[in-house]
Amino acid sequence: MNNSTPPHVVELRDVRLQFGEKKVLEGVSLAVEPQERLVVMGQSGSGKSTILRLVLGILQPTAGSIFFQQYEITRLKRRKLQQVRTQIGMVYQYSALLSSRSVRDNIALPLEELTTKTRAEIDRIVDEKLEMVGMLATKHQMPSELSGGMKKRISFARALVMDPELILFDEPSAGLDPVISSVIDELIISLSEQSKVTSIIVTHEMDSAFRVGTKMAMLYRGSIIEVGEPEKFKQSKNPVVAQFLSGSTEGPILEGTNDAIATK
Amino acid sequence: MAEAIPETEENRSFETNPVVVVQGVGQMGRSFLAEVGGMFWFIVNTIAETTDNMRRGRAPFRASSFFRHSARAGVGSVPLVAMVSFFLGLTMALLTGYQLERFGTERLVPGLVAIAFTRELGPLLTGIMLAARIGASFTAELGTMQVSEEVEAIEAMGISPLRFLVAPRMLALVALMPCLSIISSLAAIFATSLISVAYFNIAFVYFNDLVLSSLLIRDIVTGIAKSFLFGLLIGAVACYRGLSVSGGAAGVGIATTSSVVTAITAVIAFDTVFNVVYVVFFP
Ligand SMILES: Nc1ncnc2c1ncn2[C@@H]1O[C@H](COP(=O)(O)OP(=O)(O)O)[C@@H](O)[C@H]1O
Ligand SMILES: [Mg+2]
Repeated sequence: MNNSTPPHVVELRDVRLQFGEKKVLEGVSLAVEPQERLVVMGQSGSGKSTILRLVLGILQPTAGSIFFQQYEITRLKRRKLQQVRTQIGMVYQYSALLSSRSVRDNIALPLEELTTKTRAEIDRIVDEKLEMVGMLATKHQMPSELSGGMKKRISFARALVMDPELILFDEPSAGLDPVISSVIDELIISLSEQSKVTSIIVTHEMDSAFRVGTKMAMLYRGSIIEVGEPEKFKQSKNPVVAQFLSGSTEGPILEGTNDAIATK
Repeated sequence: MAEAIPETEENRSFETNPVVVVQGVGQMGRSFLAEVGGMFWFIVNTIAETTDNMRRGRAPFRASSFFRHSARAGVGSVPLVAMVSFFLGLTMALLTGYQLERFGTERLVPGLVAIAFTRELGPLLTGIMLAARIGASFTAELGTMQVSEEVEAIEAMGISPLRFLVAPRMLALVALMPCLSIISSLAAIFATSLISVAYFNIAFVYFNDLVLSSLLIRDIVTGIAKSFLFGLLIGAVACYRGLSVSGGAAGVGIATTSSVVTAITAVIAFDTVFNVVYVVFFP
């Protein structure tokens, strides 16, 4: 066995993944240190959500290994994997709240199913987490009665409910107006500092990325082409990164793709 | 081999090359077996993950969840099952009655309907109705949860969707099927009693005797055993189809249709197998 247990919270080593013939990840290596907020940028369809699913063990890589703390996610048995998942919170792009349950029941779900806490304790924790995201007033509403930003905050509270070590955000500002998107970003920063959690945030929105990130990574054509501090990242010489940051249509990103035709 | 044949108008529009046809049949056979295997492992995994929790001294799911599904599926189905069975019982009693009357043996009608419904038609009809009514709703519900990533979110929390979503639904169907098929048989027998009194001059008291003397315990046991099996089948097919939905709203529609068709076919197929096995091993 490998004795060099990685000190990282998450580590991906040369991870490859293909769906049938389609190669999505072709050798992704990444390490996330404690209390870091790593932002992974990339075009839509580049495999950003796929990376988060790999970290949760929902997808299995074709090759390579993935570590969460001392656990190798790719080798865990079902029971152990389920236990490890309780230490990881996930905020989905479209929130993925259970539509048949009220806000309170959505947040209480992991506590009810996975712990032996009493109803009173659960209610206390639910109130506390709802307070943290400023949504206590919606406690008895159904998800369908809430706006996109509110749902996202509820789903943030749900991710926090088991006091995780790591939180994964899939496009936290997607589909939100700029103001609400800033609110979410500030919430990510304040809560991750307050609860001392590590986070991986996946996004393609530059403003939001540089607001929340303490480290940036760029995913392009199946691998990480640039990693670094936000300041260094902005000055990157890599033409792909430069084009992505500037949002220009001139550059290597569109070359040879169907989108290139549309820009002519 | 397939390339050796030149592409003319005829063989392009209709595939007649025997190799390709056999390949096609083989492909269909393979995907059928894969489907059956998938369904089998689905049931095994659901049971394994559910009992796993019980071994660690926890209830596998909330009783309230089971009761909610049972109430939704069961209580609402009572009028439908009772009505359909009542009308079928009426028809069956009338048709057989008029034929048997010619031989003066119309007092066989109560026994005939009673046996037919307790061991065969009751479970079968109930199974078909529940597949359409409850199976479809389970598939659509789980399918929608699947496409909106709710199922994945549950999995990501470390909760087994099989235990949390599938087990209570499957158990609700297994528990309900026998109850509803008993209701079905009772409704048909009641309909027969009305016909017997009205057309064949068989009094209620005599009718009761005829039914009770013709029904054997093993007819009842067979009917109930079948009902449990059908409940498990319908539940497994519905949940399996629901959780394997892909492709958005259209996918949910396709899966729901497929769930009803598969469940009804499976129920009829298993009924036949059950009958054959029963006749061969317990003559
Ligand atoms: N279950 C799947 N089966 C086949 N292809 C998939 C599956 N999931 C994702 N993909 C493909 O993988 C690529 C990356 O998807 P995703 O990680 O969702 O991208 P994004 O960066 O937009 O989050 C996409 O091109 C998508 O078509
Ligand atoms: Mg995505």
